[in-house]
Amino acid sequence: MLPLTPPAPPLVLSEPDPTAVPLSTMPVGGVATLSEVRDGESRTVLRSLGLTDACVLRICKAGDPCIVQVRSTRIGLSNSVARCLFVVPEADSGK
Amino acid sequence: MSTAVVSSDAESRITARPVRRIALIGNPNTGKTTLFNVLCGARAKTSNFPGTTTSVRSGRADAVGVLRALDVQDLPGVYDLDVDLPEAHIATTLLAGGRDAAPDAVVVIVDACNLSRNLVLVAQLLARGTRMVVALNMADLAARRGLVIDTALLAGRLGVPVVSMVARSGRGVDDLRRALDLTERARPADLPLVTAPIEVATEWAHAVATAATSGSDTALGEDSLTERMDYVLTHPVFGLLAFLGIMGALFWILFALATVPMDLIEATFAQLGQLIEQYLPPGAVRDLLAQGIVGGIAGTVVFLPQICLLFFLITLLEDTGYLARAAFVMDRLLSRFGLPGHAFVPLLTAHACALPGIMSTRLIPDRRDRLATILVAPFMSCSARLPVYVLLTTLLFAQRPAAAGLVFAGCYLLGAGAALFTAKLFGSTILKGRARPMILELPSYKAPSLHNALLTARDQGMAFLTTAGTVIVAICVVMWWLSAYPHIDPPPRAVELRTAAAEPNLAPARADALVAEAAAIETRAAQVGSFAGRIGHTLEPAFRPLGFDWQLTVGVLTSFLAREVFVSTMSVLAAGQAGNDVDDGVVRRIRGMTRDDGTPVFTPSTAASALVFFVLAMQCLPTLTVTRKETGNVKYAVLQLGYMSGLAYIAAFLLYQGLRAAGVA
Repeated sequence: MLPLTPPAPPLVLSEPDPTAVPLSTMPVGGVATLSEVRDGESRTVLRSLGLTDACVLRICKAGDPCIVQVRSTRIGLSNSVARCLFVVPEADSGK
Repeated sequence: MSTAVVSSDAESRITARPVRRIALIGNPNTGKTTLFNVLCGARAKTSNFPGTTTSVRSGRADAVGVLRALDVQDLPGVYDLDVDLPEAHIATTLLAGGRDAAPDAVVVIVDACNLSRNLVLVAQLLARGTRMVVALNMADLAARRGLVIDTALLAGRLGVPVVSMVARSGRGVDDLRRALDLTERARPADLPLVTAPIEVATEWAHAVATAATSGSDTALGEDSLTERMDYVLTHPVFGLLAFLGIMGALFWILFALATVPMDLIEATFAQLGQLIEQYLPPGAVRDLLAQGIVGGIAGTVVFLPQICLLFFLITLLEDTGYLARAAFVMDRLLSRFGLPGHAFVPLLTAHACALPGIMSTRLIPDRRDRLATILVAPFMSCSARLPVYVLLTTLLFAQRPAAAGLVFAGCYLLGAGAALFTAKLFGSTILKGRARPMILELPSYKAPSLHNALLTARDQGMAFLTTAGTVIVAICVVMWWLSAYPHIDPPPRAVELRTAAAEPNLAPARADALVAEAAAIETRAAQVGSFAGRIGHTLEPAFRPLGFDWQLTVGVLTSFLAREVFVSTMSVLAAGQAGNDVDDGVVRRIRGMTRDDGTPVFTPSTAASALVFFVLAMQCLPTLTVTRKETGNVKYAVLQLGYMSGLAYIAAFLLYQGLRAAGVA
């Protein structure tokens, strides 16, 4: 039998960064560090694709889908996923 | 010419054990299948991994000059071996020699344009002590994008051979085969432990990739072509327009091109059946061959052009990288009903035929999502329903073509609506959970490979013929037997007509007419007396609440084999009725059909009820066969049959009783 997607623990840091915002609110061109994933099921897939804990990402397209680039990988995320991802924007990125 | 680059001291450690069995592994979209096709060409066989819907292909690469022949296994695409997902389980099982002997060496296909993410899998395999060679694929694309990869440095860091190659054109493939004997187990000193979290492996891979790469990727910057194309193709408005245009073109090509070979196949088999009837002596063997077996094979092979052409076109489209973008466009609509964006190809395809529709659900990564799509796909109005829709809407609205057209379109909407409703219903009951939220790598845009598309089309066609085809032919033979046996003596009226036709001084035209009428009466008697006819009589009470008499019940039962049979069954039943002229058109003849009490079979309420029944019912044995095969479990086929038939029955019942209550005849 095939297991369905297993529940993975959501990534919630012990001390959430107060400056973290949902990825869905980031402007195009913004650069940010991934700080929290509030959806354990998605986190498993995200980490495999390269959206690892505390990685730095660039927002290539806002809206639904949201497209981010992490290292040399472009990843499309539906809005429901982008809302669960919390990122800390880099001080001088975006608008 | 690219050559294998091996770490400095590897040449001296060339292994004594020649490599004869290899496995190909890599991230999705790295050209793994293309490499497999180049190596094995047409000699590949696809089989499902036991108990799963994931197919694993194996093949043989011939010896070329000094290059030995190889047994090649193509593992499913994986990003991460440690994740608890079916693809990863299958890959690790096969690497460990799950089914046969473990491979002698592994070829890890790496996308040269995305080295850092691809090297994570290399790190995991190195940590497991896998003997491997790294194939740096799409080297041409990387060079065009301004990336320069130092393969010697990379080989040195990894401790295994690295071969730069272009699978699509075959460049570097022989170098790769030569490098196989240089494969080794390596363990770079700084390699993360097998137990380390993926973050550590990712950091290591990124450091190695950065060290080996110079130049910057022109396809990834802001304002790059990729960025602008993604903006348009995933845009809520432009993206939808592009989607409609591309899919419209795809299905236009599918319908325009598939009908030619389909007509040809039907004509050829009809000819073959006639030849058999001409040259074999009358009897059970002739009937079985001409009607049962040839008819059954024809009913299977006729689907082949559509299946092959569809997979050819989809593979081309998938190769370009567009499908990942299209999935996002459709996800906005489909996710509300618990279906993934990927489901659009299967659901659109199912409008042509549910069989290729269900087979194309292999595009859907998640098992729950795939099951949901397979279960609802047959609700889409396939081309086999068309003749039934034409007949019944014409019966309903003979003088009002506009109303007939509207109801016709309504049938398509009703089918699609039932599919979405069912997906929602199943999503909250038996297939609990939402569609896996859309998270997809957006692969690079690139030109598709014709060779790939041709081989995929061939593979899918063969898979259909060997697995579904054999069962379908067997079922056709059984259904033919049920409707052809037991043999019934000709009724007295037919005997009378034939005697009259044999009068020597009768005009030949009149004699032919009498013989034709006799034949029709005999056919009707044979149908009534056959096992299928008897079952129709027995089951009539069950269908009476829908307004069906025993003849309509026989029509529904025989069309269980395939819907279009309904029209021919009704036509045969109508032709056999006394007083019906066989020269009448099919529709007129069927309209004139009467029940045993002399009232017409098709009143407006009965025709409407039958129409709704045919939109919703699971009247297709081949589909059930493919559902069983693709889900790997007969219970989903049973569920599909029970649910769809139940829904069809209830809807037809409510409509018929409602129309009667409203005073419609």
